[in-house]
Amino acid sequence: MQSIKTLINKSFVVWVVPVIFLVGWQLSGSFGFLSAETLPTPWQVVKGAERLIVDGSLIHYIWISTKRAFIGFFIGGLIGFLLGFMNGLSRISEKLLDTSIQMVRTIPHLALIPLVILWFGIGEESKLFLVALGVAFPIYLNTFNGIRNIDPGLLEMGKVYGLKGKVLFWQVILPGALPSILVGVRYALGVMWMSLIVAETIASDSGIGYMATSAREFMQMDIVILSILLYAFLGKLSDFLAGLLEKRWLKWHPNFSRSK
Amino acid sequence: MKGIPVQIDQVKKSFQSLEVLKRIDLSLRSGEFLAVVGRSGCGKSTLLRLIAGLEQMSAGEIYINQEPITGTHPDLRMMFQDARLLPWKTVIKNVQIGLRTKETTIAEKALEMVGLTDKFDQWPSSLSGGQRQRVALARALAGQPKLLLLDEPLGALDALTRIEMQQLIEDLWSKQQFTAILVTHDVSEAVMLADRVIVIEAGKITFDQKIELARPRERNNDFVYYEQMILDQLIKKSRRTHYEIEFTV
Ligand SMILES: Nc1ncnc2c1ncn2[C@@H]1O[C@H](COP(=O)(O)OP(=O)(O)OP(=O)(O)O)[C@@H](O)[C@H]1O
Ligand SMILES: [Mg+2]
Repeated sequence: MQSIKTLINKSFVVWVVPVIFLVGWQLSGSFGFLSAETLPTPWQVVKGAERLIVDGSLIHYIWISTKRAFIGFFIGGLIGFLLGFMNGLSRISEKLLDTSIQMVRTIPHLALIPLVILWFGIGEESKLFLVALGVAFPIYLNTFNGIRNIDPGLLEMGKVYGLKGKVLFWQVILPGALPSILVGVRYALGVMWMSLIVAETIASDSGIGYMATSAREFMQMDIVILSILLYAFLGKLSDFLAGLLEKRWLKWHPNFSRSK
Repeated sequence: MKGIPVQIDQVKKSFQSLEVLKRIDLSLRSGEFLAVVGRSGCGKSTLLRLIAGLEQMSAGEIYINQEPITGTHPDLRMMFQDARLLPWKTVIKNVQIGLRTKETTIAEKALEMVGLTDKFDQWPSSLSGGQRQRVALARALAGQPKLLLLDEPLGALDALTRIEMQQLIEDLWSKQQFTAILVTHDVSEAVMLADRVIVIEAGKITFDQKIELARPRERNNDFVYYEQMILDQLIKKSRRTHYEIEFTV
């Protein structure tokens, strides 16, 4: 019993199921249970990746997609963050803007794709616009709520101890809202990749989504699978980075410092 | 460094239709230690919050060091029932809040005074309730206040820690000679620490008594005499209303 428990606690255990899955997938392809037209084997996917690495297009597409994702995230995040702070700190600004923002938020941003294509064509702007739009709302909402939910007792303490303006912002308001903001960032990262996948698949001439669409036209199943895996990997990677930020910035928080 | 006088002049405070403080007149000498007792909800915290500038009075005037207050006062510090430490700052950084220098020597000294030299770099979440209140006390004292307001700062602590903290507060007060106003539920705490005890009932001061006991104080006959006098004042009132209710029934 004890040895099973210690075995489960080892970190390699989380990889057991994925590895079994991969091996099973490879074997069922090799023995002909799965035809390469339905699902290429992992090995064929690796071969496909190698081909694209050699001709340089894979790195290029990953670079393009990542760049789009982060520029869009930066623009949308900044807008959401600033609006969240303005409305969180000022009742007047909230009265003026919050209802309008909530109304725009109810439109699924991907429904705007036809309009966006008409406006921007399939250039960079259309992708950045969609990513930024998708990212802005979760960041806005969480920043706003983060500020509104700061312990009023701490604000009062700050007042008695003479904290005002900039000092109050940096020492009390921002750190108080940060846990909520980072929840927003994590969620927004998911929205970021999803918006980009859709935008690149429908309206693009470069990037991972475009790679998948054009591979489909030439029936290159291995490349289609490769693109899906790439998105999964990039999504996981950005989630991991957000986790690192949380560990670093919230190390005072009992929920985040509770590591072994 | 010396305390500053406080004068409260016909102060009233209402929340919407609820009249919490009806008419409070009170004046404190520099360096005086006043205790305020009264039943829950009688307006003790409201009075402190008015003095601290956290609440606007409905009528009247409060003077700190002869100046009418217009908001928070730089020489005033307040300790709350909960420690209100910033959880994202280490203990020493919390004590530095409100200090103008980046120097840590003042904060270190304040932490030394409350006996927490080994906790400088800890997060508040890793401290016990009593330790947190000590940090809050250190933070209040680091600002070298001339007027210290204490709103049931020891209410949440166990009996032993309470006694320790009471001694600590008395010690620091007699060294630094700031003016102090302590709100408490605990009558013996009031008699132990204060030069003067007032009772607030139904929005008014109904009892005002100097405690003429030498310090450090012991629980002798005179102590109990004062304790009993204040308790009588607090309980008499409720007995009277109790009878009235019985008679009307
Ligand atoms: N911001 C507020 N809005 C409305 N009513 C309030 C507000 N603050 C206090 N009150 C009311 O004023 C009365 C006095 O409150 P206060 O907090 O001063 O009591 P207290 O004497 O400190 O009680 P306790 O001993 O329980 O702390 C209570 O009836 C309370 O409901
Ligand atoms: Mg109170």
